[in-house]
Parts: sequence; structure tokens; C-alpha cells
Amino acid sequence: MRVFLTIVYSLVGLVFVTPLIWMLSTSFKYENQVFEKPFVFVHWEDINFGNYMYLLTESPVVTWLSNSLIVVIVSVLFRLLFAAVTGYAFGYLKFKYSNTIFLIYLAALFIPYQLSLLPQFIAFRYIGFLDTLWALIVPNIVDILSIFLMRQFFLTFPRDFIHAAYMEGSGVVRSFFRIALPLAQAPMLTLGILSFFMIWDQYYQPLIFLKSPEMFTLPLGIHSFQTQFGHEYAKQMALACIAIIPVLVTFLILQKRFVESIFTTGIKG
Amino acid sequence: MTGLTVAEGKKSRGIKSHSLERAERRMGLLFAIPSFIGYSLFVALPMLFVFVLSVFKMDLMSNSISFEGLSYFHKLMNDDDFWKAFTNTFKYLIIYVPLTLLLGLVMALILNSRVYMRGMIRAFFIIPYITTYIATLVVWNVFLHPTEGPVNSLLTSWGLNPPHYMVDTKWALPILAIIGSWKDVGFHCLLFLAALQGVPKDLYEASSIDGANGWARFRHITLPLISPTSFFLLLITIIGGLQAFYQMALLTKGGPAFSTTTLTYHIYRTAFEYYDFSYASAVGVVLFFITLVFVLINWFGQKKWVFYQ
Repeated sequence: MRVFLTIVYSLVGLVFVTPLIWMLSTSFKYENQVFEKPFVFVHWEDINFGNYMYLLTESPVVTWLSNSLIVVIVSVLFRLLFAAVTGYAFGYLKFKYSNTIFLIYLAALFIPYQLSLLPQFIAFRYIGFLDTLWALIVPNIVDILSIFLMRQFFLTFPRDFIHAAYMEGSGVVRSFFRIALPLAQAPMLTLGILSFFMIWDQYYQPLIFLKSPEMFTLPLGIHSFQTQFGHEYAKQMALACIAIIPVLVTFLILQKRFVESIFTTGIKG
Repeated sequence: MTGLTVAEGKKSRGIKSHSLERAERRMGLLFAIPSFIGYSLFVALPMLFVFVLSVFKMDLMSNSISFEGLSYFHKLMNDDDFWKAFTNTFKYLIIYVPLTLLLGLVMALILNSRVYMRGMIRAFFIIPYITTYIATLVVWNVFLHPTEGPVNSLLTSWGLNPPHYMVDTKWALPILAIIGSWKDVGFHCLLFLAALQGVPKDLYEASSIDGANGWARFRHITLPLISPTSFFLLLITIIGGLQAFYQMALLTKGGPAFSTTTLTYHIYRTAFEYYDFSYASAVGVVLFFITLVFVLINWFGQKKWVFYQ
């Protein structure tokens, strides 16, 4: 029974990722093989690496990839620092009305993100952020969910550690950077992983803020490629693979950690 | 005399920790300043500006502004496109929300049961959630190609007459909702799984002694105990469903014949294709209040079915 169920569930799981398996298979085919009948999973005698070669050498994919990486890395670093400082203020130090102010912060989680993009667009037009990566990075730094998670962490942070630092003559700022921040590595790593996946996925912001193809991030690049090469499906699949593989590898390496992070954020949320 | 010194000692210690607390509070305010600025610039002011924008006419070309009162809301009430987008948003929710929650729960129950290779099955379930959304949409676009795609050529070879999915006005929106579910359900699955693992085992043991069968146990023990998670997920799913945008933008462009234009896509089109920011803001204000109503209904409705331990 247990073996039977395992097989059934594995098949269900396999069906679930069928489009992605088909994507991988198609990315190694020639255009005239995309809809071939009967379907062949891999043409072992003639595997076509041409789609990947074309994308990596003759299209701006590498530029898009590096733009995406720049946006993700810079955004995540600043977001983590911002969330940690704010979380420390609201979770550990606290001040008059800090809990009330924090509730107001949390209310922002219910605001559809599309709304704030309208004024952002107008503002960025005035300060010349349009068509630069800054338009994507700067708004990503302020993230309410990240602040929330860091505050939850610092709420239960052992006071003795900080008091010991005070005894040795450290001030609040110094004890934050020397004691609190290094001990917050675990939640910050969690947050970093989650943010990486979220920002890597962003598409609406680049769609409205970016104009020139050399500024595109990967999701917008994929969109423009699809519009431009509407019927070259094998190349589109190869491009999809290039976009998915970095996150998939990251996920498979960090799967345990990732699952745990969703567990904890979910439970606390 | 001794009493007094003890009292004084206490007092001085009190003063010391009190002043420490005061110093921390002062620094707390200092540490919070970046967030005040960030929140004002990226959350509060934009929100305020959307409301302002919806009652002013703003011409981006000439940079002129004129007060219009509620005329944009009047326009919106008489706009067929707005009402289509409004209905489509709810149609999307009606499919997306129950499907995602139910599927997530079933998948979590599978992962929580006694099977081998749980890690692999779990990976299959979560992979759509972590993969790049736009990339998977490009795949779906070809996978569901109406005439030649693998799904339809398989169905046709079985002698069926399959629908044309994204180019069929009846099918397009449901398909987009199903793709949305497929993409997001991994997150729901993980949260339900965490909740299921939090249900104390001895409760099940006690109930099986009482002779409760599988369904009764699920109905009377599991469901109430995971209800806080269900509540949280219901809220998140509704909010997420109201904001669905990627599928429309990449797969259908709101078509065919407006059948997949939701409020978010309507906002996008009016703002960034027609550059009518005021009208888009008015639609945005409506979307904001719809979200608010859903949040409030959930918040007050939870007393009826959410069970906190």
C-alpha cells in the first residue's frame, strides 16, 4: 500500500512539473521538431545546443542576466540592512508608540502593490530614475514583510547579550553591529533567500520603468524575446531554462533551509 | 536605618535601569528614522498621491493639473470596460481562491502521510512556486498552443475536440486562474504542511480509541486545529488573486475581447498605454476599497470558524 501510494503521488508530482520537463526537452530541439509527432523526449543522436549558443552569443541574454543579478544582489543587501535596523528599533529597543506605528506599517501589507507604482512612475520621471536599474532597486529596499520578520526575531532576542556589551562600554549602535547583527545571521539568511526569489521574479516594475533593451532584467527580456521571436519556440524554451536554472539550483541546494524558512515565516505570519 | 539603605539601594538600581531604558528608547527612535523616511516615501505618500490623483486631471506632457472632483469616478461607473474588468476580477477569484486552497491542502496531506521519497515529491510540488514566473508563462504559452501544442495534439489524437484555451473567450480566464494556482500552490502546500505537523499526535490516538474514523478525525480534529493557517492563507490568497497580473500581461494582453482584463490589467493599460494616470488612480482606489472590504470580512468572519488554541 505504502509503495503503491508513493508511486501514485510521485506520478501526480511529475504531472505537476510536466510543462517544465517539456521545456527542458524542447530547448535541445530544432524548431521543426518542437511539435513533432510522435513526441520524442531527446534526440540522442542529434542534440541541438544551438539554441543556447545563439542566446548566449548573439542575443543580449547575458546583459539581462547580469542586470537581474545586480538588481537582486544590491536590493537584497540593502533590504536586509534596512530590515535589521528597523527590526531592532521596533523589536528590541522600542520607544513611545512604537507598537502603534508598527501596526500602521503592517497595514501596508494589504495595499495592492500596483497602486504605489503609479506615483512612483511619475516621481521617477522627474528625478530621472526611469530606464535605470535604480528604479527597480530603490523601492525594493523598503519591504514591510522583511521588517516584520526581523522585528519578530528581535522581540525574543536575549537582553543579557546586549547588556554584557553595554558593561564593556559599547553604546547602542556598537552593540547592534557587534552583537545583535552577527547573531541575526539565521533569520537574515532566510530573508535573503526569500527576497532573492521574489525580486528575481519581478516583472511589473521593469515593464513600466525600463525602455532600452540593454537595461532589461531577465523577466522583461523574456517577454520582449517572446514578442520578437513569436514562433521560435525552441529558443524561447532555452531562454526559459536559462532563467529558471539559477533559481532551481539555488532551491535544490537550499531546499531544506528554504522549506524551514517558509515554515517559520508562515507560522509567525 | 537598614531598611532605608536597602530601599535606597533598590531605588538607585531602579534609576540605573530606568536611565538605560531611556537611552534605549532614544536610540530606538534614531534606529527607526530610516523606516519613517522609507515608509513615507514608498508607502504612505504614494498611497495618498493615488487618492489625490484620482480627483485631479494630470497631463504628463504639459505638466498641467486641474481639479476634477469625482468626475473620474462618474466616468468609471458608466464605463463598460471597467465593469467587465470588475466582473473578471471576481470570476478569477472564484476559481483561483478555492482551487489554490484545496489543492494546497490535499498536497500537504499527501506530504504528511506515510510515503517514501517525501523529499522528492515535495520538490515536485514546490518547483513551480520558486521558478521564474515569466519563464513558466512562456512555457505554458507553447504547451497550450491551441492547434499544435502537446496537450491539444494529445487530446486530439484521442479523438477529443479540445478547447483553444487562451484564444477562446470562455476558456481564457479560467485557464489563467488555473495557471495562477499551479504557480502559487507550493507556498500553500508548505504552510498547510507546517500546520499539519503542528497537530499533536496524541489527539489522533485518543480519537481512534473513541472509534472516530478517518474523515471524522479530519473534520473534527485536523480542520479546526489548522484553521489559523487556513485563515491566514485565505486572506493572502484573496489579496494575491486581486493583484493577478503576470498571466494577463504575458499570455493574453487582457484579451480575447476583454475576457481576461482584470482590474489590475485595466489599471496598467489606462496608465501605461493610454497615459491616463488619473483614471487609472480612480480604478486603483476602487481596487483598494475592494481589498479593504475583503480584509474586513475575513477579519470579522474569522470568529465563526477560526479556532485558536
